[in-house]
Amino acid sequence: MEEQQVIESTPSGVRTATTTVHTDATCKWFLISSVSYFFIVGIIAVTIAAKFVWPELLGTVSILTYGRLRPLHVNGMLFGWLLACDMGLTYYIIPRLCGVKLWSEKLGLATAALWNVIILGAVVELLAGHTQGLEYAELPTWLDVLVVIAWVMFGTNIIMTVANRKYEQMYVSIWYTMGTILWTAFVYITGNFATMFTTGVNQANLNWMYVHNAVGLIFTPVGLAIAYYFIPRASNAPLHSHKLSMIGFWSLAFVYVWTGAHHMLHGPISQWLQTIAIAFSVMLLIPVWSVVYNFFATMKGQWYQVRDNVSLKFLMSGVVFYLLTCFQGPMHSLRTVNAIVSKTDWIPGHAHMALLGCFSFFAIAGTYHVLPRIFNTKLYSDTLANWSYWFFMIGGLGFFVTLWLGGFWQGWQWNNPSIPFIDTVIALKPIWLVRFFSGIIMFCGITAFLYNFMATILNAKENKA
Amino acid sequence: MDYTYPSVFFSYFLFFLFLGGGIFFCVRSWKRGYWGPDQEKAKYHVFEEGEISQWPQK
Repeated sequence: MEEQQVIESTPSGVRTATTTVHTDATCKWFLISSVSYFFIVGIIAVTIAAKFVWPELLGTVSILTYGRLRPLHVNGMLFGWLLACDMGLTYYIIPRLCGVKLWSEKLGLATAALWNVIILGAVVELLAGHTQGLEYAELPTWLDVLVVIAWVMFGTNIIMTVANRKYEQMYVSIWYTMGTILWTAFVYITGNFATMFTTGVNQANLNWMYVHNAVGLIFTPVGLAIAYYFIPRASNAPLHSHKLSMIGFWSLAFVYVWTGAHHMLHGPISQWLQTIAIAFSVMLLIPVWSVVYNFFATMKGQWYQVRDNVSLKFLMSGVVFYLLTCFQGPMHSLRTVNAIVSKTDWIPGHAHMALLGCFSFFAIAGTYHVLPRIFNTKLYSDTLANWSYWFFMIGGLGFFVTLWLGGFWQGWQWNNPSIPFIDTVIALKPIWLVRFFSGIIMFCGITAFLYNFMATILNAKENKA
Repeated sequence: MDYTYPSVFFSYFLFFLFLGGGIFFCVRSWKRGYWGPDQEKAKYHVFEEGEISQWPQK
């Protein structure tokens, strides 16, 4: 049976006559793996945070040194947790928005299997110290090739599903997902393969183009695709304006790719390139404010729902973090601000607010929303879900704010040539202590999220919805 | 082997490819009604499909 009869009232006032039956097998496997990696890589995260405070921790065991664990944390969180979770949610969202089944569930399951091979391969290779030595592009080449193959499999499945869609017009989440598929291919190949053919400043410039656009053209569009789907769905209120969402999409498409060089301000690249990067970074305010206004306007009259709906809590907090992080980005691209914060602890504070505070919040929200639905059950514990939210929020705020303040402090010290560098390191120890304890609180959030997730699945048969 | 100029030309190629693609799809979205009177229809697609998943009955 491909379709079933349903009677449902919707904000469009339409009583849907038939609906497609979705099996969501691929979505399930991506979510199970990604949430598991979130927990495992969370342990690595707390360990390296502890190493900032107690550098002698774990001694000189090579696989447990900072240089091995840090790339594992970065790649594990980016590709093992966040991108995998986003892909899982995409497999859920796109067939529903297109009104058809996923083009090939078998291809989806093969993609999930290959993705797990990549992540497990990355764990072994990075712990063994095999790395390309470039930020965010540490994975060895053979794993990069597998990532490209997996991405082609993912892209084919999604594009074919969209090609078979029931509705001619595409909802904005489909636009962002298609953008993600195209831009990831371009950004990933440039960052992981093109860098091999360049050296020195050119290589650094390409690498920073990749690093910035890994956030801006991979995690941002797929994160927004998820938010654009789940904010209306979780609040049961239609999006404020589809036209405004289109303006946000196209301005992101035209603006984002030029911003990477702001990582090299005051560096050995041309002044005109630096100025272009600054100008486009400031222009990012256009897509960001259009997106954020659209989300807030959608929630007009619906805010009371945030109190009892954990998905909405995560979503709307993620929107606020998106607004903040995308205000920071343009501002610290200005030469005067950049002279203080560049290369300091401000940057990990900013990056964590984007990837954890915003996009991981969207992914967690989506997971909490779909989990009971794809397993046809009830969430194991709403209380535990709320606890996970507060752990993430309190730990995250402690982490972000401490690193911003510490980063400014560090930058001012670095700008004073009379202060020896080692003194600036020692001065930051209290900052790193707070960072460690904030990390512990966030890890409690991850643990609560994982426990709730697994308990919901394991109790699914007894707790039929 | 110096790859600087090939990489610059490749960058120009990618730039025009993406700019061309961007303009093409932007114009096409205009023609397909995303900016016209029916522009808000698509937002109701979110609510058209059921959310519960199930294995198809044989």
